[in-house]
Amino acid sequence: MIRVENLTKNFGSLEVLKGINYEIKKGEKIVVVGPSGSGKSTFLRCLNLLEKPTSGKIWFEDQLITDPKVNIDKIRTQVGMVFQQFNLFNNLKVLDNITLAPVKLKLQTKEEAQENAMRLLERVGLSDKAYAYPSQLSGGQKQRIAIVRSLAMNPKVMLFDEPTSALDPEMVGEVLYVMRELAESGMTMFVVTHEMGFAREVATRVVFMDEGQIVEEKTPDEFFTNPESPRLRDFLARVL
Amino acid sequence: MNLYFSTIALAMPSWMESIKQDFYISFISNDRYIVFAKGLLMTLRLTFFAAIFGIIFGVLFALMKLSRTKKGKRTVFSVFASIYIDVIRGTPAVLQLLILYFAVLPATASKELAAVIAFSINSSAYVAEIVRAGIQAVDHGQTEAGRSLGLSQRQTMTYIVIPQAMKNILPALVNEFIVLLKETAVAGYIGVMDLTKVSDFVVSRTFIAFMPLIGTAVIYFTIVKILSFFLGKLERRLRQSDSR
Repeated sequence: MIRVENLTKNFGSLEVLKGINYEIKKGEKIVVVGPSGSGKSTFLRCLNLLEKPTSGKIWFEDQLITDPKVNIDKIRTQVGMVFQQFNLFNNLKVLDNITLAPVKLKLQTKEEAQENAMRLLERVGLSDKAYAYPSQLSGGQKQRIAIVRSLAMNPKVMLFDEPTSALDPEMVGEVLYVMRELAESGMTMFVVTHEMGFAREVATRVVFMDEGQIVEEKTPDEFFTNPESPRLRDFLARVL
Repeated sequence: MNLYFSTIALAMPSWMESIKQDFYISFISNDRYIVFAKGLLMTLRLTFFAAIFGIIFGVLFALMKLSRTKKGKRTVFSVFASIYIDVIRGTPAVLQLLILYFAVLPATASKELAAVIAFSINSSAYVAEIVRAGIQAVDHGQTEAGRSLGLSQRQTMTYIVIPQAMKNILPALVNEFIVLLKETAVAGYIGVMDLTKVSDFVVSRTFIAFMPLIGTAVIYFTIVKILSFFLGKLERRLRQSDSR
């Protein structure tokens, strides 16, 4: 579904990604872990070109999206993204947050979008917040709505950039619950996180990144019980 | 003791009498209050139209200044807007007014129109900087969220960034219009009969300086106070909607 070839990214003289090769297949749940500054978020943000790669190629369903002639807005409608800081639109009510993009991009009529939004809100248990403003919600509620906002576009893949890192501990569970459900429904997911429990239970593959490179990639069982590289062993020793 | 009090009692009325007389000559006789009212109306009209055009062109220049090419470089519009804002903010408003009326516009142009154009140009430069700061103060995550959903740069600006920026800069904008109101006092330089020019005119006719000038100052002050009162109300309401 997404293929990455020789992806590099520099910020000035700082090399953040040093040649990444990877492929995400339909239905997979990839979880990326690694120390901070390892480039995992940058890798994720390159997948929908929120970050412009310095070099390398990225394909989305056989379309080369790093080609400057490609209409990236069109690709992004099919790639959902959830941010660490939620980034709900502060000026809009919850319902309008969800329906804005599908309606303005003429993918759904207003009625369709609202119906769809209410159904999704029901699914995450927040239908009573449809007419609230983001400032009235807790972090966990905001993040669940941010997930709904992405889902409303009927994306083919969902990217999660540390979705629980900005949450109070007691709100992490509710967001992970929604993500777990989403995984069970068959969504293709690419998740950068520090939640090792989530990686162990939900991931089909776990990726360890360090210093801008993919160091190791395994099934969750193998990953946690049989780490090969010393750097991963060191990392796991510190976080588990 | 008795004599002392009676002297003051005699002096008071004559002092008050002269103020009363000055007031009568400055504002009442020869229907001068009508002239003042017309001047006030002119001042308000200049401010109103300059504020409207100032905001329209201010937003336009702010967007121009922020515009970038696909490669992230400044556009021609951006450079033009920067120079425009620099020049307008770097020269006195009176001078801009004089240049526009005497050197740029045809001799047949109306004075009032010239003043409106000049103040609009001047105000737009200041509004542009306020709007630019407001747009840049909106969290970049809002833009990223919009773009990640497939909205274009323009759609993200229109539906997400600009509404939030406008809410944040409303107090600064109202403040700019209070400044603008007082700025229009220089319209008399090209012979527009605004409030200040009227007071000047009355001084030259009556040879009384204190009363018409102070009276005019009181009028300006009152209008500014009324504007600030509404500004305060507005700010309190905006703050309420933040913590809803």
